Amino acid sequence: MASVTLRRLSKVFDGGVQALHHLDLDVRDGELLVLLGPSGSGKTTVLRCIAGLEEPTTGEVVIGERVVTHDSPAERDVAMVFQSQALYPYLTVRENIAFPLEMRGLAHAQATRRVLETATRLGLQSVLDRLPSQLSEGERQRAALGRAIVRGPQVFLLDEPLARLDAPLRIELRAEVLALHRAIAATMIYVTHDQAEAMTMGQRIAVLHEGRLRQVGTPEEVYQRPADVHVARFFGTPGMNVLQGRGRAGDKGRVIEAGSLVIPVELSTYEGELQLGIRPEYVGLCAVDQGVGNVDVLVVEPLGSETLVHLNAGGQPLVARLPGFADVRVGTRVGVKVDRRRLYLFDAAGAPVA
Amino acid sequence: MSPRGWAASATAAAALAAALTLAVTHWIERRYERAFAFRIARTTAAYVAAVTPPPPPPPPVRRRGRIPRPQAPITPVPQSPASRTYHLPSLLTQARGLRTLPGWTTEVEVYYGTAPLVDATAPPLSPDDLLQLDSAGGRWREGSALVPLKDRDGREIVGAVAARPLRVPTGPLPGGLGFAFPAAVLAVVGAAVIAFRGRSLRSGGYVGAALLLAAASYLDLRAVARSSTDRWLTDTRRLLQEAATRLPPPRSRVSVSDLAALVQDAELVAGEPAESAPWRARVDGAPRAIVAVLIGSGRWVDLRTVPAEITTLRWLLLLLASALVGPLGILLLRWAERTPARKRRETAIAWGFLAPAGLHLLVFTLGPAALAIYLALPLANFRTIVHDPLTWLSMRSTGLYALYVPVSVVIALGAALLVHRYRVGWGGRLLRSALLLPYVTSVVAIALVWQLIDQAGTLGLGRSGWLSSPATALPALMLLALYAQLGGQTLVFLAGLERIPRVYVDAARVDGASAWRRFWRITLPLLRPLTWFVVLTGLLSAFQVFTIAFVLTQGGPRVLVQRAYQLAWGGGGGSGGSQAFGMASAFAILLCLALVVFSWPRLKLLGRYAQHA
Ligand SMILES: Nc1ncnc2c1ncn2[C@@H]1O[C@H](COP(=O)(O)OP(=O)(O)OP(=O)(O)O)[C@@H](O)[C@H]1O
Ligand SMILES: [Mg+2]
Repeated sequence: MASVTLRRLSKVFDGGVQALHHLDLDVRDGELLVLLGPSGSGKTTVLRCIAGLEEPTTGEVVIGERVVTHDSPAERDVAMVFQSQALYPYLTVRENIAFPLEMRGLAHAQATRRVLETATRLGLQSVLDRLPSQLSEGERQRAALGRAIVRGPQVFLLDEPLARLDAPLRIELRAEVLALHRAIAATMIYVTHDQAEAMTMGQRIAVLHEGRLRQVGTPEEVYQRPADVHVARFFGTPGMNVLQGRGRAGDKGRVIEAGSLVIPVELSTYEGELQLGIRPEYVGLCAVDQGVGNVDVLVVEPLGSETLVHLNAGGQPLVARLPGFADVRVGTRVGVKVDRRRLYLFDAAGAPVA
Repeated sequence: MSPRGWAASATAAAALAAALTLAVTHWIERRYERAFAFRIARTTAAYVAAVTPPPPPPPPVRRRGRIPRPQAPITPVPQSPASRTYHLPSLLTQARGLRTLPGWTTEVEVYYGTAPLVDATAPPLSPDDLLQLDSAGGRWREGSALVPLKDRDGREIVGAVAARPLRVPTGPLPGGLGFAFPAAVLAVVGAAVIAFRGRSLRSGGYVGAALLLAAASYLDLRAVARSSTDRWLTDTRRLLQEAATRLPPPRSRVSVSDLAALVQDAELVAGEPAESAPWRARVDGAPRAIVAVLIGSGRWVDLRTVPAEITTLRWLLLLLASALVGPLGILLLRWAERTPARKRRETAIAWGFLAPAGLHLLVFTLGPAALAIYLALPLANFRTIVHDPLTWLSMRSTGLYALYVPVSVVIALGAALLVHRYRVGWGGRLLRSALLLPYVTSVVAIALVWQLIDQAGTLGLGRSGWLSSPATALPALMLLALYAQLGGQTLVFLAGLERIPRVYVDAARVDGASAWRRFWRITLPLLRPLTWFVVLTGLLSAFQVFTIAFVLTQGGPRVLVQRAYQLAWGGGGGSGGSQAFGMASAFAILLCLALVVFSWPRLKLLGRYAQHA
């Protein structure tokens, strides 16, 4: 097993697209790190750099003690599950799983045994002699995993392996991947764009946005103390409300004006443009003029255990998450309460304000 | 449509097809009967011309003879020297005598000028009829074959002979009934039973009935063709026997060559005594219908001709087509019934779009193919082709020639990999252009330039003469073909390479495969269907090679298609002429069959791959 370290990693593609900006990341030996980011944020590019399929423009990739920045993929001893599975279409599942062993010149008998072990672990025994086109999506995904783990490499790179599956299957396979990780105790980098998946899987989560690493931390850290406004927006279902506002001195101390809301804050120094973050669960409704401002109800989404209410706060969207079935009418005007201890403040650039 | 309605329409379709088949059969039978009528009319005309003496020199005094004037209108008998015309009273006798020939199955009339001689009360010909006869050499008029009667020198038309074939029963069933009619009834009843019994789509049954009908019609047709030959033989036999007694000067024996002059489209040779009925035999490997003729005491000759039934096979196609109209119609009805209106309309529109291409295919591919089959029959042509050493020689050169294909495919694959590897940058672009240049140039132009190089010794190579030397012509041809085809094949491979998802190669790299192994284990398998396609089309076009060989080596290696061309148009071992087309067609069909057999398994494989992709 080995750790993976990225130092000041940048990647500029031929067309001039800068996919990665000075990435520093340390994945510990045996850790399952989840790399999370929206589509196009550069997740796949990070994995490809680690695997050696792309050469970084600047920076270094270190696996274990070795700097492998310019090594070929074969020399790195990593395995990768591709976003599109990439099972060889004319080889059976058995041949697909055996392929990496064959390429490393493993003896036939030994290879056969390893393939069978892997297939048994993933529940693929019955489909070993089928072609990929004859498998279900779940089986295909398992076969792709099998091809990655069969060799027992130092590092696993998994690029959104479950994105194509439907929800129940995704949950099932997620558990399997976790079990697998525990069983083989390998270093894994797991890419996903689904923050819920990231929260449930990761020991640590690295959040990537527009090619920049925004935050690395445990799920709780990332949720409770988002490093910037992008991370804050990205986590939670739905994500955090972010209102554009400005701080000024009011009658009873400092307030922040954001849309139709005027919220008193215990902020001594700050004045001018800033961004106000409130998680939907800390937004409450009350009678008109009873709260920090009045808003219009746009949409009500009853979900059973909770109700999402989409509001218009003087031109800025705001979502409230209320328990159970809330008695709110679309088109009415209501007052808003906020939990003042749960406010996040970011400056105009998105950095948190202390 | 209700089930009953459907069953009724299906029965109607079957009845229509049966009627169509019967009509087609009848039409073809009539063709054979007409052919027979024309033939016997010609023979009769020749007989009449041979046995009728010229008028005796007119006695100087008597100006009015008892010659019966022909009825009006005035006959346009051309003025000619007396020795060339006929002695009219004898002509009359000869003509009347034809009617009384025992066993004749033909009714003949002889016209002198426009006037009928045998049945004097029959309407005369019109002068136009005679004039047209002169240009056409014979025509069909009111149920009889009308052929010209020339003067004794065979120069000018002095009259006509009409032959009306009497209908004789040819069918093997009681009353001379053929198989076709009962089979038609059976097919219709069968179709009705299957349809009304609700065993709706036993298309096997319908097709079986249709095949039965076609087969029965064919048998009838063959019987009619056979009987037309037999009738000509027996009728001509009588004429020959008559001629044998009338031709020679008194107390001398008739010569066989005199008689043979009467039957120029047949053979007359000395023979053995035999029954009066015609028989079939092979003479020098060719089928012949023969009848023995007694032409004097103890003198027998054999009258031989090509039997008409050997030409019947070609009609089988037509019969099958018309008989299968039934099952086809029923299937169509079934389809229309089971398909919702919208789908029906869409299908109709789709066929509408396909129609132009389909028409093109029909006119320029299927039509010529059918014509080739028609021309290639009778089957004797195929035997000749197979036994012709030139066929195998051309097969051998073509086979050798085709060996360039694997070589060019390997080179093309290599070139494609190179271009793909360096696709960005000017090097790749240059390579690509160089490869594509021959591809976009006309093969003929390339061939001519090569010829120029070869003969004029351009480029300082000196006169090489490769193309005219038998030893080097084939390799030179192969080299040229390779050059001309490389670009196209490279392009196909390049397109294939660009279509391979990069992720497969990436996965193989992560799995630790070297470039060499990636090519063998990933790229090549993914290109395999395409490779087969390139090899197959290459081989197919190699076997059809004509242009290059024809332009370059007039005397060089004979390749298959060139051989077919020679057979048809003559030149170098080909005969030219009407038989030649039959031979060439037979050759082409054999070549086509060989190609189909040879490429079938691969094509099927390709189809399977296409479904997977
Ligand atoms: N080969 C390439 N050439 C040029 N630009 C590229 C290339 N590959 C990726 N990019 C660009 O780099 C950026 C990051 O791409 P990447 O595939 O890493 O995103 P991702 O986070 O994996 O997205 P997704 O979740 O949709 O897979 C994108 O803007 C993409 O357009
Ligand atoms: Mg990606």
